[in-house]
Amino acid sequence: MRTLVDWLDERLQIREIKVALFDRKIPKGVGWIYTLGSLSLGIFLLQSVTGILLAMNYSPSPQFAYESVSYITHQVTLGNIVRGLHKWGASAMVLIVTLHMIRVYFMGSYKYPRELSWVVGVFIWLIVMGFGFTGYLLPWDQKGYWATMVGTTIAEQAPLVGPALAKLLRGGDTLGTVTLTRFYAIHVLVLPALVLTLIALHLFFVVRQGISAPPERDKPDGPHA
Amino acid sequence: MDPENSRRDFLKKSIFLLGGLMAVGVAVPGGTYFLSPLWRKGEEGWLELGEISKILPGEPVKVDYAQRRRDGWATIEEKSSAWVVTDDGKKFTVFDPHCTHLGCPYHWDTAKKKFLCPCHNATFGMDGQVISGPPPRPLDQFTTKVVGGKLLIKPRSGGA
Repeated sequence: MRTLVDWLDERLQIREIKVALFDRKIPKGVGWIYTLGSLSLGIFLLQSVTGILLAMNYSPSPQFAYESVSYITHQVTLGNIVRGLHKWGASAMVLIVTLHMIRVYFMGSYKYPRELSWVVGVFIWLIVMGFGFTGYLLPWDQKGYWATMVGTTIAEQAPLVGPALAKLLRGGDTLGTVTLTRFYAIHVLVLPALVLTLIALHLFFVVRQGISAPPERDKPDGPHA
Repeated sequence: MDPENSRRDFLKKSIFLLGGLMAVGVAVPGGTYFLSPLWRKGEEGWLELGEISKILPGEPVKVDYAQRRRDGWATIEEKSSAWVVTDDGKKFTVFDPHCTHLGCPYHWDTAKKKFLCPCHNATFGMDGQVISGPPPRPLDQFTTKVVGGKLLIKPRSGGA
């Protein structure tokens, strides 16, 4: 193990990466609320793993969606645990990412020189909302169906583009088969690709810039505060 | 060891321990879920092929039957068939309708009195033994029983 690490380090200087990632200088005064970002990343990994597992036994068709979810819950060994982790993980994701955003806002961490982290973060938050909206429909139960009906009808109220937007979301005039496959494709292909890209950027920024120091009383915000 | 280092050491170990526990907490149910097809039992049940009085000695008879079974979350009705051979109308041999070479359906050649698989010109005798061609073993047989004048077979789990 040691020799393998040495071998890789000699060629790729991997120890520098470890130092950059884990042995960073942390400003004084940071505490638990500064761990919400890492926690978001942890839940994202949990959602990825459990989501991939669920996709192995899920069928995005009105005929079988509910049946296949019920199959996961009742037939597959520990399927209820995997589904439960994904379901509760989804709620936790929305909660923790939002708390992370609030922390960044109230601590002024979004300010110069970290505006880009904030902008990318806002898009990540929007994508998390997208995950929630598209994932909610997938069990094809009454709750998911009507929530999507409400959601797409809200989109329909937008001036001018509303009806077109609703039609795009539903994949047609009514909520049905095509809506389910659309939502599934967005949930498991489009959004993961987008969010992975943005998370990579977001992490690059924070590793490169370090985390911001908490604001102090009687101390003006300097460029490196 | 000075206090600063022992504190750092303790925190480092705590992180690895907690992180490890969380990883195991996901990996165990996830791994079990992923591997569960390995110990999932297929449905076992007897399938009815029909009245034995309709199966006459001499020539193999192809019997078509419909099989309703659970396939994952779906219940599907499959059309399937089997070749039935009997010498006396009492004891029956039922062959899986796929060649043991590569799974092609074979048929009974009435002129040559052999089962002939068209894919690679394999031939089997009425007893299922390989006469010529590439098949590695005789034709696969279903377990059979006769109840109340009806022939029943037990589908092989994992079979085609």
